[in-house]
Amino acid sequence: MSDLDEFKATYFDECSELLLELEEQFAAIQDGDRDGDRLNAVFRAIHSIKGGGGAFGFDALVRFAHSFETLLDYVRDGKVELSEDVVVLCIRAIDIVADFVEAARQEQPLAPDYGAEEKAQFDALCRGEALAGAGAPDADDGLMDEFDLDFTPVMVNLEADQYEHPTTGASEQTVWTIRFAPFATLYERANDPLLLLRELALLGTMTVTAELAPIPALAEFEPFGVYCAWIIELASETVTEDAIREVFEFVDGDCAITIERSAAVASTLEPDEFPSFALLAEEAQAERTFIASGEPDEIIAEPALVAPVASKDVTGPSAVAPAESGGGRAVGMQSIRVDLDKVDRVVNMVGELVITQSMLTQQMDDAIRDRYQELVRGIEVLAQTTRGLQDAVMAIRAQPVKSVFSRMPRLVRELATRTGKKIRLETVGENTEIDKTVIEQLSDPLTHMVRNSADHGIEDVAARIASGKPETGTIRLSAEQAGGNIIIVVEDDGQGINRERVLQLARDRGVVGPDQQLTDEQIDNLIFAPGFSTVSEVSDISGRGVGMDVVLSNIKKIGGSVHVRSRAGRGTRMTLRLPLTLAVLDVMLVKVAGAPYVIPLSSIVETIQNSRADFGHMPSGGKVLQVRGDYVQVVDLAQRFAMVPAETEDNRFVVLCEAEGDSKIALVVDDIIGQQQVVIKSLEENFERIEGIAGGTILGDGNVALIVDVQSLQPGNAHRNAA
Amino acid sequence: MRVLTVDDSRTILAMLHHTLTNAGFEVLQAENGQVGLDVLGREDVDVVITDINMPVMDGIEFIRRVRATGRHQSLPILILTTETSQDKRDQGRAAGGTGWIVKPFDPEKLISVINKVVH
Repeated sequence: MSDLDEFKATYFDECSELLLELEEQFAAIQDGDRDGDRLNAVFRAIHSIKGGGGAFGFDALVRFAHSFETLLDYVRDGKVELSEDVVVLCIRAIDIVADFVEAARQEQPLAPDYGAEEKAQFDALCRGEALAGAGAPDADDGLMDEFDLDFTPVMVNLEADQYEHPTTGASEQTVWTIRFAPFATLYERANDPLLLLRELALLGTMTVTAELAPIPALAEFEPFGVYCAWIIELASETVTEDAIREVFEFVDGDCAITIERSAAVASTLEPDEFPSFALLAEEAQAERTFIASGEPDEIIAEPALVAPVASKDVTGPSAVAPAESGGGRAVGMQSIRVDLDKVDRVVNMVGELVITQSMLTQQMDDAIRDRYQELVRGIEVLAQTTRGLQDAVMAIRAQPVKSVFSRMPRLVRELATRTGKKIRLETVGENTEIDKTVIEQLSDPLTHMVRNSADHGIEDVAARIASGKPETGTIRLSAEQAGGNIIIVVEDDGQGINRERVLQLARDRGVVGPDQQLTDEQIDNLIFAPGFSTVSEVSDISGRGVGMDVVLSNIKKIGGSVHVRSRAGRGTRMTLRLPLTLAVLDVMLVKVAGAPYVIPLSSIVETIQNSRADFGHMPSGGKVLQVRGDYVQVVDLAQRFAMVPAETEDNRFVVLCEAEGDSKIALVVDDIIGQQQVVIKSLEENFERIEGIAGGTILGDGNVALIVDVQSLQPGNAHRNAA
Repeated sequence: MRVLTVDDSRTILAMLHHTLTNAGFEVLQAENGQVGLDVLGREDVDVVITDINMPVMDGIEFIRRVRATGRHQSLPILILTTETSQDKRDQGRAAGGTGWIVKPFDPEKLISVINKVVH
């Protein structure tokens, strides 16, 4: 990766954070919190996005961000009122900025007039005009002129006069007489006349005379008094007054300065009259050469960012660079940024380590324990340390769900605005931490579920009043950790699922057979069934062309489950169960037809020997297991995967698993080997997707075991599998 | 030569770091004025480059506090800013800023500006 690419990566990373921050701040602002700090924060965020964008020459992004920033500046100064309309415009503009950033990242430019309407509105607001409809983008806008002056892209060369240098060969010299009298403020700002004179000496041949007359006798001498002034004669063939003024740029107002042009003379002045300054000039030149590693004139011609600023091998008396400077010391930073790939590598390796360790532990039988007590103790300590290491590594990749939750308030507000409903969003447990890889997969499903609640769950104001509910509906979003899982609940106090309608639609669309009888719970969960939601049924809010079935498949992909419960007139609750991490899975190792399979431990309730199990038969021929008064459907894994059981019926085992919600399923396996941890390997990536299998893993002895996908073996899904 | 860079933008800090280390400077970093003060409290630096718009403590206040410390009265402080108006720059100078660098900065220009204010 080149340096520039690396900076860009940093920049895009930072942009994502800033955009999130912008959304959060504007969400609070829209809720009526007009705190000055919030305005400063949004201003800073846009400012940073613009600043970085300018460095990389993302002109379209910078132009838009600049107008946005200018408006925010006006708002901050109270010149533009932050009305509801302006807030809505700003929130829209955040999306546009995000699009510009994404376009820059993908290197795919947007349409030239993208965001032009909003930009025109910003500019109009800043001119003191009221917010109107779409204004035509105005290229000759005054604000843009100002902008163009300020934002010279970094790739552009320096203005030549900044490096005005005497060129050799010309004969006629101009002599400038400069009187320079510093004020006390010059020193207070840590400027140094000596440095200014050094700078000036680079422009030509210089003689300096100090005005010593104002210096008082020692008795009256103020230690911090300013008494000295200088008269400088500068002879050069090319220097302009502007170039001289440029030297004094930083001390403008902190000194009295006069610059006069004397008559041109053909001969050079004697520079040796004040040898100290002639020496100084040489020294300064030497130092400049070290820094710039070449003649300044040559540097101007080189493209800025690719030009080496200095070659490190330049040495010499004035090379003041400390030897240890290469690494740079990031003092004051409380965190370091590490490429995610590197963390993933560590996570995977720790996963393998955990498995090797558990394999070692398993191989210790009593004989070994008795004979090698020291070794056994060592392995026990190793087990503990490995667990600790695993936790520590996972903590590195863990992130609070806040990063996903924080997008929801805005979504809900938008939905409320567009539907005319009144909706309040409550979030609980947003600091719950989940593995970053899980978080990334969580955003889309969660967005969909919240949309669904706002769109289909919460009633409009009239309907709510009619049914005696408060006119503002509530959507509650909560996250909590439960064992090895994260439970995320989206709950609303709306009308609940209209089961009649759902069942009717499901029958119409062939998702459910005409004679099939379903429980209320099964009907509720139909909203996740593939083919249930269709474009015509999905409103413009809930749908972006995908239905809730996508939610389910996304969640299943990461080893999670989703379950819905609804009560007519009272509300709907959707529960997401997600693994804390995708890397390592606690499993039970079983055997089916001689081959090893693993079942995620998180879904296992209990295991029962076949001979002790209380089986029943259904009229349809299916087998059920009676567990404490409940009937649970039995799935014989050997049968399911079209293999022949290796054991006699009575020697086999039943593994009772819990699937979505309270629904259970009993899996029949040949043998139970034990518990262990495995690193999940994707089947899709290495082979292809197989129904009923969630992935594969490599066991300690090198054998491959398949991970049973308990969710897809569920009774509710059986009819689809059979069909 | 040691430079303390103070900016809330990681992009800018990274670019400053790259440019300055290539030019042979040792670079210290701080993400806001408060952290910058902490660094100055325990480290000696030859020049400071600071942004103005920062959370926790902005550049103006940072400069003011640095100048209020006896040992830092002659420490050159360069203001890093993209401000269109001169307001911020002038405020920064009034607080004790030595000079300024306009973002986006050109690496050559950055080094030349630093050399204008350090020995």
